[in-house]
Amino acid sequence: MTTELVVNGEARRVHADPMTPLARVLREELHLRGTKAACGEGFCGSCTVFVDDDAVASCLVPLGMAEGRSVRTVESLADPAGALSPLQQAMKDNDAVQCGMCFPGMLMSLTALLEANPAPERRDVHEALVGNICRCTGYDRIVDAALTAARAATGTKEEDAS
Amino acid sequence: MSDVIGVDLPRRDAEDKLRGRTVFTVDAAEGGLLHAALRRSEVPAGRIVSIDLEPARRMPGVRAVVSAADAPGRYGITIADHPLFAVDQIRYLGEPIAAVAAETLEQARAAAAAIVVEVEEYAPLLTMAQALADDARDLHPGWEDYDVLFEGGERARNIGWEATVVRGDTDAAFARSDVRVIETEFVAGRQNQAPLEPRACVAGYENGRFVIQTSTQVPWAVRNSTARLLGVREADVRVVVPPVGGGFGMKFEVSLEPFAALLARAAGRPVKLVNSRQEEMQTALCRENAEIRIRSAVTESGEIVAREAVVLMDCGAYGGEQPFLTSMTAHTLGGNYRLGAVRLVSRAVYTNTPPNGAFRACNGTYCTAALERHTDEICAALGMDRVEFRRRNVLGDGDLGSTGQVFEGDVLAPMIDRMVALRDSAAPAERPDDGRLYGTATTVGTWFIFVGPSAATVNLNPDGTATLVTAGVEIGSGSTMQAIPQLVAESLGLRPEDVTVRAADTDAAGYDGGVGGGRTTVSLGAAGVAACDEVRRKVFDLASEMLEASPADLVLTDGHVAVNGVPSARVTLREVAERAQAVSGPISGSGSFTGIGVQPMSGCAAGHMIGALDLPVFAVHECDVAVDPDTGHVEVLAYRVVQDVGRAINPRAIRGQVQGGVVQGLGYALHEEITIDARGKVRQTGFETYRMPLSGDVVPVQLDLYEGAPSFGPLGVKGAGEVPILNVAAAVSCAVADAIGKPVSQIPLTPQRVLGLILDREDENVELRHIGPGWRANVIADPEELMAAAGL
Repeated sequence: MTTELVVNGEARRVHADPMTPLARVLREELHLRGTKAACGEGFCGSCTVFVDDDAVASCLVPLGMAEGRSVRTVESLADPAGALSPLQQAMKDNDAVQCGMCFPGMLMSLTALLEANPAPERRDVHEALVGNICRCTGYDRIVDAALTAARAATGTKEEDAS
Repeated sequence: MSDVIGVDLPRRDAEDKLRGRTVFTVDAAEGGLLHAALRRSEVPAGRIVSIDLEPARRMPGVRAVVSAADAPGRYGITIADHPLFAVDQIRYLGEPIAAVAAETLEQARAAAAAIVVEVEEYAPLLTMAQALADDARDLHPGWEDYDVLFEGGERARNIGWEATVVRGDTDAAFARSDVRVIETEFVAGRQNQAPLEPRACVAGYENGRFVIQTSTQVPWAVRNSTARLLGVREADVRVVVPPVGGGFGMKFEVSLEPFAALLARAAGRPVKLVNSRQEEMQTALCRENAEIRIRSAVTESGEIVAREAVVLMDCGAYGGEQPFLTSMTAHTLGGNYRLGAVRLVSRAVYTNTPPNGAFRACNGTYCTAALERHTDEICAALGMDRVEFRRRNVLGDGDLGSTGQVFEGDVLAPMIDRMVALRDSAAPAERPDDGRLYGTATTVGTWFIFVGPSAATVNLNPDGTATLVTAGVEIGSGSTMQAIPQLVAESLGLRPEDVTVRAADTDAAGYDGGVGGGRTTVSLGAAGVAACDEVRRKVFDLASEMLEASPADLVLTDGHVAVNGVPSARVTLREVAERAQAVSGPISGSGSFTGIGVQPMSGCAAGHMIGALDLPVFAVHECDVAVDPDTGHVEVLAYRVVQDVGRAINPRAIRGQVQGGVVQGLGYALHEEITIDARGKVRQTGFETYRMPLSGDVVPVQLDLYEGAPSFGPLGVKGAGEVPILNVAAAVSCAVADAIGKPVSQIPLTPQRVLGLILDREDENVELRHIGPGWRANVIADPEELMAAAGL
């Protein structure tokens, strides 16, 4: 069966069982391996992508549900030959990355937050990450980086460092 | 002043990881890969009556089926007790029985399920109490005949290994009339490492050799164990390691690689094998659950004249790391404090549960928690201030450790002072009158660097850059991305970006003990610096001719060789490298490193693979908690760490390790626990029920890096990534006990458990009836012989 969807701005046709998890289609059919699938049950958030305007766990989305919709993955956040997105750059500048497996999902959840709320409080960032598990970093720098990116984008001044 | 040491340089792998470009083993997708699945046991214990592989062989897409007949060997660290596939007996639920490779994963799984296994079930021995009962069935009949890979530990029936420490006359000290005896029991749960990348590998069979790409921390151990299990030459196994998506110790021994290797040879095609998250939950090589009794004799003035302890460590169905880790009790539970006399026993106990393994600060987490709770109970009994007691009793310069090694330098006491200063530097945590119970605790901990052997090669390339070749793996900690290239750059006067770090490949790099135990920066760093020394000598020899100066007057700086004090007299490293092509051939250097081999006092330690610490590391942790008396919920309000790092090569990277390690420790202390039901099944089948810390659970750790403690690491460095988890459970347990005014003797401190303590519910009281009274009742060896060996 064929499903048509738009992935990172490009119309794609996928021949697969419509019950196949979107995460698997992205990774195995479309070779977008930035989307991770660490738990397969929707609890770790490493497979988070946008379906239209919602950040969702793509391991729980059957391919058929994506028919005709727009999917954005971590690979869409920055031009492959260009600069990192401000959020990615803030992660790099904050030395937030360790093993890296959770970051694609973290970035998608936080991109959704910043699109909906350009000036979040720390509490908002914690809430946006309730579905993303990181086993390495202890989160603090990821949260700091998100706030740094938001402040840079909105031109607000940095809070006093705690 | 160096511009690459002590500097917060970024990590070179961050950008690809942020773009989603990094290819982990789990992402491997080259053409023609077969997919594999394991048939695992569905019962925890039994005799294998028959296995019929034929139904699997007839299934569509199947290319190979292998089982015990294909893997003759057994492996282990001290005792080779672990076969690749269950042989004759099933010892845990999830134990591999056969493996299948097929064109698709679904086909492989269907075929694995079609294998017919007939088992005569035994009543499983799921707890250490059950396994230690006098009438318990032997999990390993014939244990006496297993190959012994390391001599010295006592073994008997379901006790897979026993290590003992005897120093000084403990009996006499306990019998003194002027001492008070304090006894504490402590029980710690099992913790899953849960790296986001599961165990995964891709194996091929090329020109008669196995080529294995795998998500591991120890490429050389995978090479050696795979060869042992498959009955082939070690030289016929090559292991390569791309970036690893987290390990935390779970990937510190062989796992899936031999299965994929066998299947690849049988099928004649490369095979990918990945554990599902459910398989990872059932079979992770977890931090072992443990049961501890500790007794001390102390004088009214606060001198610890004797200490005695029994530590039971659940190794699960096979020994794995635990027989080795019994060594650590001497240095964790037996550490921190000056002891007049000491007597310890740690035992690795077989049970019909999944084998346990290594997890960041193995053994140290629960032994430190037990010791620090015990220390607070001593302070309560004596009416002494908990910080002052520690300051007066911690090991200092010239003091003896439990096995009689002499410690060098005053480190812990000044670190306690630094903790007090760190606490005073911030506003005290608020304690509003909201009905909650508030507590705080200061704990000390002793850990070590698992030094061991490492090799490195450094090539000076014709363009004047350098390439470092080691078997060091990047597991996320950043050691091979930051500290090690920084050390090499410092040695050669290069910028860190001019140092290429070769990914681990056992065909390219010499032997290495693996990335773990805090050893990477110390051992691989030292080997790398030694390799640079050879490069420097060769460079200086050539440059001295080019500059007409003595080699002794030359320095390497800014990519140049210069005459010291004459800035204009210099050549670029590139020019020297080009000159070398014509004169001597390309310049390279090799370097190696191993521990210095500190020994315990004669006769004090039996059954120890590590009898004394080459390179101790210390930590002081403090935490403030609030406990809700209605729900038992514990909130961590503030967390402070003073960590002994020797010398901070990249302070910001260390801070990242401390934050991450402390948060993993908070999960261990408060809510992460693997439990096993009556049928031997792990109850936590995924991340819904295995509760790891989330972003909203954590606090930013306040950190003070303590530099300057003695270290033979390069530039005085000590590893910094492992130790941050060491005393988190200790700090939280002591702070909760302080808050609720009741002894805490079990972790994790789930709300239910804390509420039980507050309400004095009996089922929260720990009673370790299977630990006999006193030390003598808990040793296999003849206690009097052990005492005689120690000079008593």
